[in-house]
Amino acid sequence: MKRFAGVVLILTLTACSKQEPPPAATPDPAATAALLKQGEEIFQNTCATCHMADGAGVPNLQPSIIGSGWISAQDPQLLLSLILRGSAILGEAAKAYENDMAPQDHLTDAEIAAVASYVRSHFAGTPITVPVTPAQVAIARNRPGLP
Amino acid sequence: MKKTPALIASLLLAALARGALPAPDADNAGLILPPGFHALVVADKLKGLRNMTVAANGDLYVKTAKDGIYGLRDTDGDGKADVIKEFGSGGGTGIALRGDWLYESTDDHVFRYKLTPGELIPAGEPERVIRDLPNKRQHSAKALAFGADGRLYVEVGSPSNAYGGKKDRALGATGEDPTEFLKTYGGYWSYDPDKLDQTQADGHHFSTGHRHSTTIALNPVNGKLFVAVHGRDQLNTVAPQFYTVQDNAENPAEVFHVLTDGANLGWPYTYWDPRAKQRKMNPEYGGDGKKLAEAGKYPDPLIGFPAHWAPMQLAFYPGTQFPAKYKNGAFLAFHGSWNRAPEPQKGYRVVFIPFDAQGMPTGDYETFADNFAGKTEIKSPNDADHRPNGVAVGPDGSLYVSDSAKGRVYRIIYTGK
Repeated sequence: MKRFAGVVLILTLTACSKQEPPPAATPDPAATAALLKQGEEIFQNTCATCHMADGAGVPNLQPSIIGSGWISAQDPQLLLSLILRGSAILGEAAKAYENDMAPQDHLTDAEIAAVASYVRSHFAGTPITVPVTPAQVAIARNRPGLP
Repeated sequence: MKKTPALIASLLLAALARGALPAPDADNAGLILPPGFHALVVADKLKGLRNMTVAANGDLYVKTAKDGIYGLRDTDGDGKADVIKEFGSGGGTGIALRGDWLYESTDDHVFRYKLTPGELIPAGEPERVIRDLPNKRQHSAKALAFGADGRLYVEVGSPSNAYGGKKDRALGATGEDPTEFLKTYGGYWSYDPDKLDQTQADGHHFSTGHRHSTTIALNPVNGKLFVAVHGRDQLNTVAPQFYTVQDNAENPAEVFHVLTDGANLGWPYTYWDPRAKQRKMNPEYGGDGKKLAEAGKYPDPLIGFPAHWAPMQLAFYPGTQFPAKYKNGAFLAFHGSWNRAPEPQKGYRVVFIPFDAQGMPTGDYETFADNFAGKTEIKSPNDADHRPNGVAVGPDGSLYVSDSAKGRVYRIIYTGK
């Protein structure tokens, strides 16, 4: 839990970015379902190899992401930064595990939006159903560091 | 010679160690074993355990991953440890006995404790034999063993998957020139075991070109050192254009080598394909799943174990308790995989490796102890009830196995019944 203490602080201090586009008022259910399906496929192909299909991680090697503060925050910018830049942005907290997470910036904005939407709906402490948009990913990608 | 109480206790323990076998657990501690073999739980619910060793009087010494070292003693011969004491700190993996000295490694240093005959745990503070070894978290365990030359061999693993730079383990990882890196990482160094406060620079750089090994063991038959090496991960993640999920699940082999002075085992450039029995180029260095390494440049492994099983500790078997076929062979504990996902995980067992009269492996191996995981299908290491880590042979020829998941110590015996 110590791992997330700093994250909670950051989240508390971090208001939604002024650049943040407003989320769609009423997401189309069919489009959201398709997005989550795409996100699940990306998760299984890209993330589950380390974090496991159930998100529980591997002791000492890779963390569980179930209920993670990075995923459970309403503002997705920290999560998007983590996906794009890897565990290097975690600083000292990354030392709790042996393996580093490489930047996943080879994924497109749409792909990252899909996988972020999936993990937020599936692994957040309280499921977050509002989809992440490619525009939000673009903001994270173009920002030099953490929000 | 005057016999002190401690010496008398030690002699009694040694007699117990040679004495009648204890009764096995009714369920053989949940293990599946060859006919005539049985098992019992020596200790349970300890901290997560790593490598282990056994003293001549039967006392067990087991490293914990994050804390001290357990000393375990069975004083009444029922096979259960009735004295369990923890000493030291710092966690780690490596452990070995040399006379009355117990050597052990954290991820940064190598220490030794002076043992007093008859006493389970050392009374004094440890001496630091090697200090400030490279440690970048990944593959930081420091395996150690004594060679036939009396020197102490210690590994520094490679904090890397395949030296793919910042994208290591990710799509499109590209290998960098490892020449300078391999001067510090990915090899074994040998040291004077009686000289204190040495650094890596004081060691002799003995071998290179391996990713990570958590075990090295001396074969007393021929005085050669043998290692098992953890192979790379995530071939299909790095190069999905060349490798399927199934290709990654079955590649590369966990390799078994005899280690000679100057040996180069070929990492990070190459890996061993256990199905094709060929050395291939890693995709970070131009490999495409088919491109072979330069013939003869690196030694072929003596055995290519299935991918990702994670070989943790190797122990030769000089004992006579087990049937003759086991004498002078070796046992190897496999922690079990995580990187076969989404395919089912495998490993989670102890295998027996037959050796010939010259002290070399025949090339075969067989599962010896299984069902540590307690399940037939494992999707994640978290599903496993127990995970074998350490393995050591007792003075009476019993085989001990430690468990990293729930802190269990097993004893495997042969009754023939």
